Amino acid sequence: MRMPAAAGRIADHLERLGEFGRFVWRAIVVSFFSCFKPATYPLIWSQMYIIGVRSVPVIMITGAFVGMTLAVQAYDQLAGMGLEERLGALINISGVKELGPVLAAVMLAGRVGGALTAELGTMKVTEQIEAVKSMGVDPMYYLVAPRLLACLLLAPVLIIYADLLCSLGGYFVSVHVLGISGRPYWDYSASVVELWDVSVGVIKGFFFGAAMAVISCYKGFNCEDGAHGVGKACTEAFVASLISILALDFMLVVIFKSIYNTLWPLRSMF
Amino acid sequence: MVKASDSNNKISKDDGIIVLRNVTRNFGQNIVLDKINLAIESGKTTVVIGPSGCGKTVLVKHIIGLLRPTSGQVFFKGKRIDNLNEDQLGKIRVHFGYLFQSGALFDSLTVAGNILFPIEHFFKIPSQKEAEEVVKIKLQMVGMDGFQERYPSQLSGGQRKRVALARAIALSPEVIIYDEPTTGLDPIRSDVINELILKLKRELKITSVAVTHDMTSAYKIADRIVMLHQGKIIADGSADYIRDINNPVVQQFINGQISEEELEILRMRDSYDATKLWTNIPR
Repeated sequence: MRMPAAAGRIADHLERLGEFGRFVWRAIVVSFFSCFKPATYPLIWSQMYIIGVRSVPVIMITGAFVGMTLAVQAYDQLAGMGLEERLGALINISGVKELGPVLAAVMLAGRVGGALTAELGTMKVTEQIEAVKSMGVDPMYYLVAPRLLACLLLAPVLIIYADLLCSLGGYFVSVHVLGISGRPYWDYSASVVELWDVSVGVIKGFFFGAAMAVISCYKGFNCEDGAHGVGKACTEAFVASLISILALDFMLVVIFKSIYNTLWPLRSMF
Repeated sequence: MVKASDSNNKISKDDGIIVLRNVTRNFGQNIVLDKINLAIESGKTTVVIGPSGCGKTVLVKHIIGLLRPTSGQVFFKGKRIDNLNEDQLGKIRVHFGYLFQSGALFDSLTVAGNILFPIEHFFKIPSQKEAEEVVKIKLQMVGMDGFQERYPSQLSGGQRKRVALARAIALSPEVIIYDEPTTGLDPIRSDVINELILKLKRELKITSVAVTHDMTSAYKIADRIVMLHQGKIIADGSADYIRDINNPVVQQFINGQISEEELEILRMRDSYDATKLWTNIPR
């Protein structure tokens, strides 16, 4: 009796995975074609304002605190070896490659992902998504594509903001609190952080933004009825986005590292 | 009654503007619709009645393709639509207007924005002035002109239904589906909605399908009444036919009477709870 029940649960999970796969595929296709429809642009602009512009303060605060905390934490270790002047290099390489992109994406998942799921979930519960459908309009085109494109395009931009503030936050604590000279902070940073490192962080943003948007929209579209259903969908969306961001981060690091190792010998040619 | 033509995906248009053939719909083990056969005549108002939870809304959602049957076929103007993909269905849905039970107005848009939503999606409106004119005409039809800049949250239940009706007729559809149009409204507001439905039928020659358990509304607007019970159609005819039908289930429903068995259960529960309540009170 237990085996069929377990098999049933596995079948349910596989079915939901298949549904999610179909949703993602349709979201990608519809978003791609939306790029060529000028009628979609106002929808994308308004989502860009909600998702991007209104996230700038929270992302900047996150970046600044990451930089400041890194400075305080790393100072003692480096000072013990007499390398405190290299603090800028450590702060910037960690911020630009890992902490900036990941923490900015996590903050976005909380602020934007939760709001997307709650908005779409409420629309589903109050039959507004069915109303869109009933008028012959594809909800994927009207609701998902603008949100996905806004997240996809703006997550990398917000990561640049986070990187910038991480660097400035680290500078402020290093120079004005810990007493390191300003010049070596920037010199060591410039010698260690390459364009490649910044690019890796920014490219990660495209993946993080897309994953967060598609998960949040899927959870909103499939939320259960009632206030409890919307709340549950928001929690699930945040947890799933967070895990996806961390898993994607790991996979992207492995991929970029192998690309870097392949391209490294060719550097002298350029 | 419904004859198939040479292809399984087409039937004669004379059979009705909307035809449901052997439509069955299950939700898990629960059979909500059980081999429903229904042909809806063009230009007439068909009212589907039945107790809450009997599958009335599920039935009309099949007509517009918001739900797909577990088995059976749905035809619109002779063409099978239940097997179409979402893009193809989108083109069919333009011929329909759907008034949702809750109104389902977009709360992020104003009244004008709600009405313009389907129009802007399918037509290019040359100027702001023309857009305003279209909205004004649609709102005048439901007696809501002047509410253009309000948001749905600033409207009463009856006003929301009227705006939702204006949005449903925005694309001048051939068929309007009303899902519980008078639910939650006082008798006077309900009558306003009934008169609006009659007015739209008169002026726009629209085919209407209404789902309701409000018998006053059903008698007023219906050319034909269909009663759904336990997933099956148990009565089908004019308002007079339904009023006089010799079927205890139909008579019980249209007269709003509780059955003897249900009454007995309620009485038993009353006496049980009362006894328990009294014995539990500390003295």
